[in-house]
Amino acid sequence: MKLRTMALELGVLAVNSVPQEYAAGWYVDPNTGQQVYYDPATRNFYTQAGGIYIPMSYMNTAPKQVTVSPSDNLRITVSFKYTGPAVTGACIRYCIGVYGTFGFTEDLVAIESFNIPQVVTPPSVANVSNSHTFAIPTNIGTDWDDIYIKMYGGTPSLGSDVTPSYIFGYENALIIVGTQPNITEFKIADFAKA
Amino acid sequence: MLNMFLAPLSLVATTFNAGDTVKVTISFNYVVGVNTTVKLHAGPYYTNILGKHMVDSCVGSTDLPLVAASTPTPQSTTVDLVLVPKANGGIDNGTYGLRVWIEGTDALAEQDAVIIVSGNSSGGIGDTLTSIMPMLMMVMMMGMIMPMMQGMGGGTEE
Repeated sequence: MKLRTMALELGVLAVNSVPQEYAAGWYVDPNTGQQVYYDPATRNFYTQAGGIYIPMSYMNTAPKQVTVSPSDNLRITVSFKYTGPAVTGACIRYCIGVYGTFGFTEDLVAIESFNIPQVVTPPSVANVSNSHTFAIPTNIGTDWDDIYIKMYGGTPSLGSDVTPSYIFGYENALIIVGTQPNITEFKIADFAKA
Repeated sequence: MLNMFLAPLSLVATTFNAGDTVKVTISFNYVVGVNTTVKLHAGPYYTNILGKHMVDSCVGSTDLPLVAASTPTPQSTTVDLVLVPKANGGIDNGTYGLRVWIEGTDALAEQDAVIIVSGNSSGGIGDTLTSIMPMLMMVMMMGMIMPMMQGMGGGTEE
């Protein structure tokens, strides 16, 4: 049994106050320079293309891939910068599964409850972290390679479970070494009369 | 500076006789958590307006054991397929693609127009009749119609 780790750095989703509210309007994403629109009704940022507002995707390209096998343990660690009052009983939902056209199919799910101490001065590095360790089952699918987390609840509340303000994920974060072989670079090398 | 691209070599079309055995070499990388055995298949296919169709009678298969490996591990093997002659319910003369795949996975590779089959005998009386039947029908129809046309020629009688 081996312990693998995957860290999700939520720096861009820093919790500056609880809950963070913005006025409706256009903002500039400090990371990409892209113009984004904030809608306070849905508490979501949008991009605009062809006259249509498109919700900002919460799934991102994984910074690394972790190989896991049945009976391995996978620890997912979440960290972020926090400034604000103390929060008790906040929740993080950890999910492993398949992200596709119709959303995220949650195949492995765990919920961790945690508290956040009061922080007055904005930190320069992530000052809150939480983690969960999954035991990889023998029936893991070779396509369960995406992960996401969402943070919600608590007192005062970090937001709703249904429309979470803090949600983040990685696509193709895992290489599943399951009971079914995972084949790559499959090709016909040659053929000839026997 | 010399710029070079190293592209994968495509397969070269090769001519075989009906009845030949074709040895197909397949390579891939795999990872798997437990020792397991996979079944590989290889066979010719043809394409028409309805899509691609395997010539089932010529598909060859082989079992390949894979040792558990947690990092991508190279593997290669061969699959023999027999180009069963048409007279035995097999493949007709013509040009075919070659497809290989692993059962139960999405591993599949193929290339169009690489197997050229010839040598199916056409000496059978059935084959000969089949090939000349359309022409024979036309001649017979013409033979029936021409006398009728002549009879309706509108010639004047004195």
